[in-house]
Amino acid sequence: MKTIALLTVLAIGAFLLYGTPEFPAWGDPQAPAALHVSPYYIEHTIEDTAVPNVVTSVLADYRGYDTMFETSVIFAAGLACLMLLRRYQPKTQETRLYRHVPTGITLRIAQGGKIPEASDEFERIDSQWVPYDLIVKLTARLIVPFAQLFALYVIAHGHHSPGGGFQGGVIYGAALILYAVSFDLRSTFRRLSERTAILLSAAGVLIYASTGFLCMLMGGNFLDYGYLAPLLGGDPVMARSHGIFIVEIGVGMAVMAVMVSLYYNLASAGRHDEGL
Amino acid sequence: MNANLPELIVIIPLIGAFLITLAATVHGKLCFPLAAAILTGALVSAVGLLGRVLAEGVVEYHLAGWRPPWGIGYRVDPLNGLVLVVVAAVALINLLGTRPLVEKDFGDRLGPFYTLYVLFVTGLMGIVVTGDAFNLYVLLEIAAITGYALIGMGNPQRAPLAGLNYIFMGTIGASLYLLGVGYIYLVTGTLNMMDIAARLPALAGSRLVMTAFIFCIAGLCLKMGFFPLHAWLPNAYSHAPAAVSSLIAPLMTKVMVYVMIRIMLTVFDPGFTFGTMGVSRGMVWLAVAAILGGSILALGTRHLKRMLTYIIVAEVGYMVGGFWLGNRAGISGAALHIVNDAAMTLCVFLAAGTFFYKIGGESIDDLQGLFRKMPVSMAAFAVGGLSIIGVPPTCGFFSKWYLISGGLAAGQYAFVGALLFSSLVNLALFFRIFEIAFFEPFQEHHGAHGAPAGTARQEAPLQMLVPLVLTALGLVALGLYSGDMVSRLIEHAIPAGIV
Repeated sequence: MKTIALLTVLAIGAFLLYGTPEFPAWGDPQAPAALHVSPYYIEHTIEDTAVPNVVTSVLADYRGYDTMFETSVIFAAGLACLMLLRRYQPKTQETRLYRHVPTGITLRIAQGGKIPEASDEFERIDSQWVPYDLIVKLTARLIVPFAQLFALYVIAHGHHSPGGGFQGGVIYGAALILYAVSFDLRSTFRRLSERTAILLSAAGVLIYASTGFLCMLMGGNFLDYGYLAPLLGGDPVMARSHGIFIVEIGVGMAVMAVMVSLYYNLASAGRHDEGL
Repeated sequence: MNANLPELIVIIPLIGAFLITLAATVHGKLCFPLAAAILTGALVSAVGLLGRVLAEGVVEYHLAGWRPPWGIGYRVDPLNGLVLVVVAAVALINLLGTRPLVEKDFGDRLGPFYTLYVLFVTGLMGIVVTGDAFNLYVLLEIAAITGYALIGMGNPQRAPLAGLNYIFMGTIGASLYLLGVGYIYLVTGTLNMMDIAARLPALAGSRLVMTAFIFCIAGLCLKMGFFPLHAWLPNAYSHAPAAVSSLIAPLMTKVMVYVMIRIMLTVFDPGFTFGTMGVSRGMVWLAVAAILGGSILALGTRHLKRMLTYIIVAEVGYMVGGFWLGNRAGISGAALHIVNDAAMTLCVFLAAGTFFYKIGGESIDDLQGLFRKMPVSMAAFAVGGLSIIGVPPTCGFFSKWYLISGGLAAGQYAFVGALLFSSLVNLALFFRIFEIAFFEPFQEHHGAHGAPAGTARQEAPLQMLVPLVLTALGLVALGLYSGDMVSRLIEHAIPAGIV
C-alpha cells in the first residue's frame, strides 16, 4: 500500500514537472495572465468603482460573488465544527471547582454535590486555575482594545491599503481569543456568548447576501451596487465604493464570530465548560 | 423578477440558510417549515428557468452587472437547466420525506442541521448553474464542507472517521481541479468558461493545457468516486445519517458527472477531449472496471445501505463510460442517466431510511417479512430496485438502452458486456432482498411489544410515505418521458460536431 502511495506521489510530481517548462517567466509582463483580463481591472478600477486598491475592487466588486461564497464557506466551517463537536450534556456530570474569594479556599464539588449559589463570594474556577497572573492579564488588557481598534481600521481601510473584512475579522477574533486565553472561557462568554457568536456569523453573511438582493430589488443584477445609489446618495460609482464597504463589514463580522466560535468549540472540546 | 431567475435559484437557498440559523434561536420548530418553503422556492425558480431556456434558448446572467470575462457569468443551457430541476426536486422530496428521522436524531440541533442541509443544496445549485470555472470551485467547497459535516454526524463509532477520510480525499480532488483551473488561467488569462473555450484552440499542443486537462479529470474523478478513486465513498455514504445519505448519495456524484461533461465539452473542445488527448479508450476501460468492481463488491455485503453505495460506484461507471464513448448516444445516455440515477438512488435510499426508522436495523436480514409489515414502502423500494436493474417502463431501462446502443456504435463491446453483467448482478441483489422480505416471516423481536407477530402492519408515518411513493411513481413517469427529455433538452446541449 505504501509503495502504491509513493508511486502515485512520484507520478503526480513528475507530471507537475512535465508542465513547468512552459510556465511564463517570473513577473513576465507579456504572460497571458497579464494581458487579457487584468489590464482592464488596473485601468478601470477608479472610474468604475472609485476604489484605489485594485485587489479590493476585484475581490469585492468584479468578483464579489466569489467572495460572498468564500464567506459562506467560513460560516459553514464554523457551523460544521459546532455540529460535530458541541456536546449538550447536563452540567452536573463532573467535578467542579469553586473558590471562596475572601479567604482563597477552594471547594471541590463532586458529582451531584450542591453548588454554591451565585454570589460575589464564590467564583467558578478551572481545574488548572492559577492565582491572579499580573503580567499576562495586564498585557492582555493593554493589547486587546488596541487590537480591536486596529481590526476596525483594517476593515474600514481596505479600500486604500491592504486589508478588508477577512483580515480585520481575523484580527478582531484574535483579540477576543487572546482575552479568552489570558483570562478564562467563562468571562469571554459574558462578553460574547455562543448564541451571539452564531447569530453574528449568520448575520454577517446575511448582510453580504441581502445587500446583493437589495440591488436586485432596486432593478439591477445581483450585487450590482451601482443601483444602490438612490439609497446611499451620490452617483453609481460612489455607490459601488460604499457597497464594497458594507459587504466588508459583513465579512468582518462573520469572520470574527466564526473564529471565536471555533475557539469555543475546540478549546473546550465542545463542552463550553473550561477553556485552555 | 423573471430576468433574475438564474440568480434566484442560488440566492433563495443561500439567504434562506442564514434565516434558518436566525429562526432557530427563536424556536427549533420553525426550521423545518422554513427549509421546506425555501427549497420549494428554489424548485419553482428552477422549473421557471428551464421553461425560459426551452422558450428562449441559452440564458445568461451577469453577476454584479459586469460583463464576462471581467465579471462572473451564469450560463444556462438545456442540460444544466435540467440538472438544476433534478437537484432542487431531490432536495425538496428528501427534506419532506425524512422529517421524522431528522427530528429523532437531531432534535436538539435542528437549526444547524437544516442550515447545513440548505447550504449544501445551494452549493450544488451554484456548481450546476455557473459559467465560471473558478466560481464552480468556490461552490464546490460549500457543497463539500457542508457535506463533510452532514456525513460526520452519523453513527458516532464510524461516521467521524469516514467523514475524515472523505475530507482528505475530497480536498485532494478539489485541489487537483483548482490546479487545473490555475494552469488554464496561466495560459489563457481568463476564468470564464466560454472565454477559455474561445482562447484554447490557439494553444494547440501546449503542455500546460494537457496538464490542466489531466488535473481537472483526476480531481473530478476523485470527487465523483470513479473507480479506482472510489474508496472513500462506501464508508462515507453508508455511515452517514439516513436523512443525509438519501440527500448526498443521489446528488453529489451525479453533479460531479455533470461538471465533467461541462468541462470536457464546453471548456475543452470535443475534438481535443476525445481526439487529441487520447484518453477515451482508457476511461471506458476504467468504467468497465468500475461497473464490474462495484457490482461484485455489492454482492459481498449484507448491509443494505452499503450494498446501495457499491451500486452507486457501478452507476458512476455507467455515466463516465457512456460519456467517454464519445458518440451522441453515449453522451445522451450519460446525461439522461444523471437524471434517472438521481431519482432511483433517492427512491431506494429513502426506502432504506424508512425501513431504518421502523425496524432500526440496516442489514438485509432485518427486512424479513417486510412486504407484509410495510407493504407500501417495500413496494416503492421494489420499483426503485426494478429501475436500477433496468426493467421497462421504469426510467433505468431507457438510459441503459442509450448507453448500450452508444457502446455498440463505438464498438466498445466490453462496456456493453459490463452493463449487461451489472444488470444481472443487480437482479440477483434485489431479488435476494425481495425474497427475504416476501417469504421469510417477520421476526417478533423487531416489533413493538404486544403486536401480533408476523402479520401486523406497521407502516411508516404518512409524511415519509407520500414522498417515497411519489418518487417511485416518478421513476415510471421519467421512463415514459425519456424520449422527450433527450430530444427536447439533452440533444440541444451536445455540441453539433459529435455524431
